[in-house]
Amino acid sequence: MDNILEISGLNKKYSDFALKNISFCLPEGCITGFIGINGAGKTTTIRSILGLTNKISGNIKFFGTDMDGNENEIKDRIGIVLDEGCFYDELTLTEMKNVIAPAYKNWCEQDFIDYLERFSLNPKQKISTLSKGTRMKYALALALSHKAELLIMDEPTSGLDPLVRSQLLDILKDYMSKDGKGVFFSTHITSDLDKIADMLIMIHNGQIVFQEEKDQLLDSYRMIKGSTEELDESTRKYFLSIEENSFGFTGVTKQVSEVMARMQDVLAERPTLEDIMLANVEGGKKACYLA
Amino acid sequence: MLFSLVKKDFLIVKKYAAIMLIISFAIPPVMVWRTPEASGAMGFTLSVIFSIFMLTQYVSLKEYQYPKATTLLCAAPYPRKMIVLSKYCFCLIIYAVCCVTFGIDTLIFPALGSFDVKMAAMIFLVITILLSVYFPALYKLGYEKTKFAFVIIIMASPVLFAFLFKPENAVKFGFLNVIPAVMITVFSIIIGFVVYFVSALLSIKFFEKRDLT
Repeated sequence: MDNILEISGLNKKYSDFALKNISFCLPEGCITGFIGINGAGKTTTIRSILGLTNKISGNIKFFGTDMDGNENEIKDRIGIVLDEGCFYDELTLTEMKNVIAPAYKNWCEQDFIDYLERFSLNPKQKISTLSKGTRMKYALALALSHKAELLIMDEPTSGLDPLVRSQLLDILKDYMSKDGKGVFFSTHITSDLDKIADMLIMIHNGQIVFQEEKDQLLDSYRMIKGSTEELDESTRKYFLSIEENSFGFTGVTKQVSEVMARMQDVLAERPTLEDIMLANVEGGKKACYLA
Repeated sequence: MLFSLVKKDFLIVKKYAAIMLIISFAIPPVMVWRTPEASGAMGFTLSVIFSIFMLTQYVSLKEYQYPKATTLLCAAPYPRKMIVLSKYCFCLIIYAVCCVTFGIDTLIFPALGSFDVKMAAMIFLVITILLSVYFPALYKLGYEKTKFAFVIIIMASPVLFAFLFKPENAVKFGFLNVIPAVMITVFSIIIGFVVYFVSALLSIKFFEKRDLT
């Protein structure tokens, strides 16, 4: 499987935040979820790989081609959905399309019309009158109407109701049904990725924590539940996070066999992506005592 | 590409374009009434400055309100330099429209005098110098900081140009009458375009370094 995007040694520094040596790759034919809490560096990473912010160092390759020097040719093959507020509200859907469409060599007007019909969007409607969910659908219509080979979305489901989020996931599945496509999807709502992602990349404090296939990732972690009496200095070290209360403890571990060998009377469950993400977040290790 | 980006700016200001067209028509005749001694040149200068800066400022305001719209354009295969150049072209088109409206004005109001190429070239030089300072400042400092410069230009220009076009001050510009009109026209246009070009390069440099939100 070819890599649709390869990033190595990406560094970017702001006064209060930095991306540190970001390296990962996106295989073709996969929906890749980019997870992390707010402020982890998801948006900065996406902005940096698209050349919207100036990186300090790093190599970015799309479709095997260096981004430096080939930016416009590469962007022609990518569909972008940014988080909210990326349109001029006073324009109509058609007017905004007329601004964006000429930038793309492969713009397909019929695809755009089909998407508008599918999403029940009126081309004469002003963008200011669209709901948040409808704006996201419109952004998708723009992003998918030029035969994009890679769709990059920055927090597209943030603030959307479950129905619209579910519709979005259906559109992504439909898009991926064609060969040679890829989706890179940043979110902190991991339940969406539970349903559709093939690959997951986690970022925290500007550093990549892991890149793994979703099923492999879910298999490699376990959520352990048991009595607090089972916990001692020798067993605590196996947990990424432990939450304790008067009924017992819940902990997430990657060292399942060691834990099961040392703790007899505990229950091991498959964690959710959210459990894994939170367990990996710095500070998650601190025991939380509930009343 | 450039055409689409210029069109985008006109779409943004479409609500005010008709009003500004009326204002650019109205300023020169008003000047006939207020300052008949220099109504032609001054009326044209003010109509150009008002039209260009009011519309440019409105576009900048909208881009300030929706910064991610510019980010989306840059995420599309629009080179950043095209986005900057479209602003410069946008102003040139407004200037051309002002020339037409003033030309029509001079036909309707003979008191405005004649509208010749020399006047158009000299006002072109004035406006390109003003824009050549304004745009790099806008790209370097942002809308919030440069809006005061806009207010100063709009407020000061009627006073400044009324002073410059007073008959007693015209003596100081008497040397212009010695220079052949063709030379003034050609030099004004060349210097105007050179200054505008250098300013565009500077603005592109500033915008390419900017981290988009």
